Amino acid sequence: MSTDDERTTDASTTNSTATDSTTDASTADSTTDASTTNSTTDVPTADSGTPDGRPDLGGDPVLRTEGLTRRFGELVAVDDVDLAVDRGEFRSVIGPNGAGKTTLFNLISGALSPSEGRVVLDGEDVTALSPHERVRRGIGRSFQITNVFGGLSVEENVRIAARSTVETDLSAWERYLRSTDAFDEVNERAAATLERVGLADRAEERAGALSYGDRRRLELGLVLATDPQVVLLDEPTAGMSREVTQSTIDLIDEVLADRTLLLIEHDIDLVMRVSDRITVLDRGSELVTGTPDAVAADPEVRKAYLGGVADE
Amino acid sequence: MAAAGALFDQVLNGLTIGMVYVLLAAGLSIVFGVMDVINFAHGEFFALGAYFALSVAIATGPGGFWVALLVAPLLVAVVGAGVERFTVRPLYGRNPLYHILLTFGLVLVIKDVVELVWGPQPYQFAKPPVLRGTVEILGYGYSVYSYFVVGVGLLIAVGTWLALTRTKYGLIIRAGSMDRGMVRNLGIDVDRYYTLVFAFGALLAAVGGVVIAGRQSVSPGMGDSVIIPAFIIVVLGGLGSFRGAVVGGLAVGVVQTLVRSYVPVLEGLVVFLLMIVVLLVRPQGLFGNPEWAGADEGGDLLTVSGGGVFDSTLRRRAGAALVAAFAVVPLLVGLPSYYVNTLAVSIFVWALFALSLDLVMGYAGLVSLGHVLFYGVGAYATVLVVVNLVPSLWVALAVAIAVCTAVAWVVGHLSIRVSGVYFSMITLAFAELFHSAVYKFGWTGGSDGIFGGFDPTYGLVGGPAVRSIELVGDVELFYYVALAAAVGGYLLARRLIRAPFGSVLQAIRESEDRTAFVGYDVTAYKRRAFVVSGGLAGLAGGLSATLTGGVAPEFLAWILSGEVIVMTILGGMGTLYGPMLGAGVYLVVKDVLLSLTNAGSPLLVALGEFWQGALGLLFVAFVIFVPEGLVSLPETVASRIDRRSGGGETIAEDAEVSD
Repeated sequence: MSTDDERTTDASTTNSTATDSTTDASTADSTTDASTTNSTTDVPTADSGTPDGRPDLGGDPVLRTEGLTRRFGELVAVDDVDLAVDRGEFRSVIGPNGAGKTTLFNLISGALSPSEGRVVLDGEDVTALSPHERVRRGIGRSFQITNVFGGLSVEENVRIAARSTVETDLSAWERYLRSTDAFDEVNERAAATLERVGLADRAEERAGALSYGDRRRLELGLVLATDPQVVLLDEPTAGMSREVTQSTIDLIDEVLADRTLLLIEHDIDLVMRVSDRITVLDRGSELVTGTPDAVAADPEVRKAYLGGVADE
Repeated sequence: MAAAGALFDQVLNGLTIGMVYVLLAAGLSIVFGVMDVINFAHGEFFALGAYFALSVAIATGPGGFWVALLVAPLLVAVVGAGVERFTVRPLYGRNPLYHILLTFGLVLVIKDVVELVWGPQPYQFAKPPVLRGTVEILGYGYSVYSYFVVGVGLLIAVGTWLALTRTKYGLIIRAGSMDRGMVRNLGIDVDRYYTLVFAFGALLAAVGGVVIAGRQSVSPGMGDSVIIPAFIIVVLGGLGSFRGAVVGGLAVGVVQTLVRSYVPVLEGLVVFLLMIVVLLVRPQGLFGNPEWAGADEGGDLLTVSGGGVFDSTLRRRAGAALVAAFAVVPLLVGLPSYYVNTLAVSIFVWALFALSLDLVMGYAGLVSLGHVLFYGVGAYATVLVVVNLVPSLWVALAVAIAVCTAVAWVVGHLSIRVSGVYFSMITLAFAELFHSAVYKFGWTGGSDGIFGGFDPTYGLVGGPAVRSIELVGDVELFYYVALAAAVGGYLLARRLIRAPFGSVLQAIRESEDRTAFVGYDVTAYKRRAFVVSGGLAGLAGGLSATLTGGVAPEFLAWILSGEVIVMTILGGMGTLYGPMLGAGVYLVVKDVLLSLTNAGSPLLVALGEFWQGALGLLFVAFVIFVPEGLVSLPETVASRIDRRSGGGETIAEDAEVSD
């Protein structure tokens, strides 16, 4: 795959700069506060935005946001957020209700366009691209409310997703007149995906008739079939019991292990256990980003979170 | 000075009509804003207002006008409340499309009831003496009645505005139109207000009907003539915006009147052009809430997904048998008459037309209210080619398809940028634009259309005339051409749907967001579907013109768009054979009803004369009870029986689908 080459070259260059900027400060404190990140917003160089104090994950940000802001009238839902998510990282985004988590995801995936700021994937500015173009470049997402093609078979669901990666290469004849059964390579990939998410034996069923948990699995399959680099997961365990939640997270960890993950999740214990790093949003702004331990110890976070809980 | 006086006269005329539009549009807009209901029957409430006023005035004698002005709107409000309670209410939570369909059915019913009660002839309505005569200003006489209409309109508009902004009810209604769920969460039963709001909308329309009755004649078509402009005003002003309805109504009234006297060429076109331009620049309308234009209306389109009726093998055999029967029976035993030949051909043609609509509506989820555009353009193109270029039917049909795909490409590019109801309205506007335009030109034959000189042939440059070849008895060769087109269209559509293209279309119908987020350009796919659909509809139109032996502006009338939607829903959209079946059933039922007028029994004759109303009732019943169409009937019946015998399975499945 040609994109792999690009990735590698890109990775090697970013690697060096990123290590430069992290080495000196990483020992100072283990948490990053918002102001440090904000101060670097305007610097154009690709990776100087990497904030201090992160655990060393290779320091190779595959996804960055720079000064990302979205206003709805008076309300600033996402306020000047700078993220740098490293390749292969498992990053969770937490925050009280209304903190702007889903809006942030919508900005990154292209469902909303930002009022200000940029989204950079693999060194490429994708801010102006539409959702489907971002998917082609490697951003996949799941939705807060399970979103699969309910009227179609489980197999066709995944095939549609898998086919999108080759869609532009299809000839007119293939696209309009060739039966979907005849795309062997795509269909094999779809079958393999179903195998991975554990739905191979339900391929013929109507997606809408699956149980809730299975539909969640199918949605993961849809994301996986598009072969994303970065996957945004918006509360994949919403409405699940504790056990199912755990198994879903295990599944995510298993099938998406080699991808960069961004997760919105309410179950704090879970987030603490699975994340490499956690970003805490509060009222649209990035409060803190750091390792689970560092975030748990952060007084600001305790205030925002526990304060919020106490209010309820 | 004289010019200024004449201009003022025109402006006053425009304001008078404009005020009537305001009354109509305000009701439409409030009803949409609060309950998301697109009410096509609104024009019929307007007509009912005029007719009730007529009867009340006659019954009460002198001074009857004033009594009528009060009583008629209240009566119409009662009718409106009944309509909401018994037909609209069961549909809340479904896609707004179903309200369009339902109220379209209601239009047919109310119109026929009006004709049944008051007869088809127009009435004149006597104005009270006080309002006759003129006022003289600057040497020009202005009709007192115009001032009266403007005054009444202003009074009601201000009153409504005060009620909306200053009262508790108004507050709840406005809040409900912004966020119904929130208002409900506050513990207010919004639904209770729906009947009130719907009745109030009907009342406003009725007042408009009463005051217009004093200016022009009262006739059964009066609802038809105002509903499209009223919609345009609502869309122009912004759906759900009261201010938009007022400004839009007055503007359209004045612009229409001025254009009529100063730029007659553009009469009838300007309003549609205005709406198209406004929607392209500001998709949410002048005063609309921008968040709505792109908003997903929610509520699923009830398409028959998955298998539909029977399993696929059985279905294929049944289909093949049906086609074989259509092909062989006429040759073996002939058709009973030339009339049956014609009926069969029109079923093939409409089956093709319904199939084309289904591709965009049932598969891509695009509710085109202006699909007649392609049908009409196809018909005109076919006739024009035969009359002016070459007589060959094949060349003409090919040109028709090409022209329609081109038109669909352009219209698709302009209109698919807006979604949901706005898309429906903009397609309707395009269709009406073409409809008005064909009246204007010499080469389209104006209002007469083109019937002379249309003699298509079977050869490429000449050969035998299409209408001259009869095979057996009354069966024409053209019967087979139409049958082949319908079957060919079906096979092509089936192929498309089974290819990646159709698979993505179905994905779009299921979830637009999800489709975009697995990497497809949803807009591009919708456009492609629209283009394919336009081509097929154009072919249907060309065949239809050939069957008719010419073309007239009626080929572009919006009522045909309504009919083809009816057929599609009736059969079951989202399956390819459903709409084709729907076309057949619709045309046969219509034909049977019409033939009743020659029946012996007076009751049957009455039913025959009420054919439109009867079709409307049938349709209303379908939208409410069998929204998935005829093809879902066996399944529905089966599940009913299942449920009765104690199987709770279907209920569980329903719950699954609705979340």
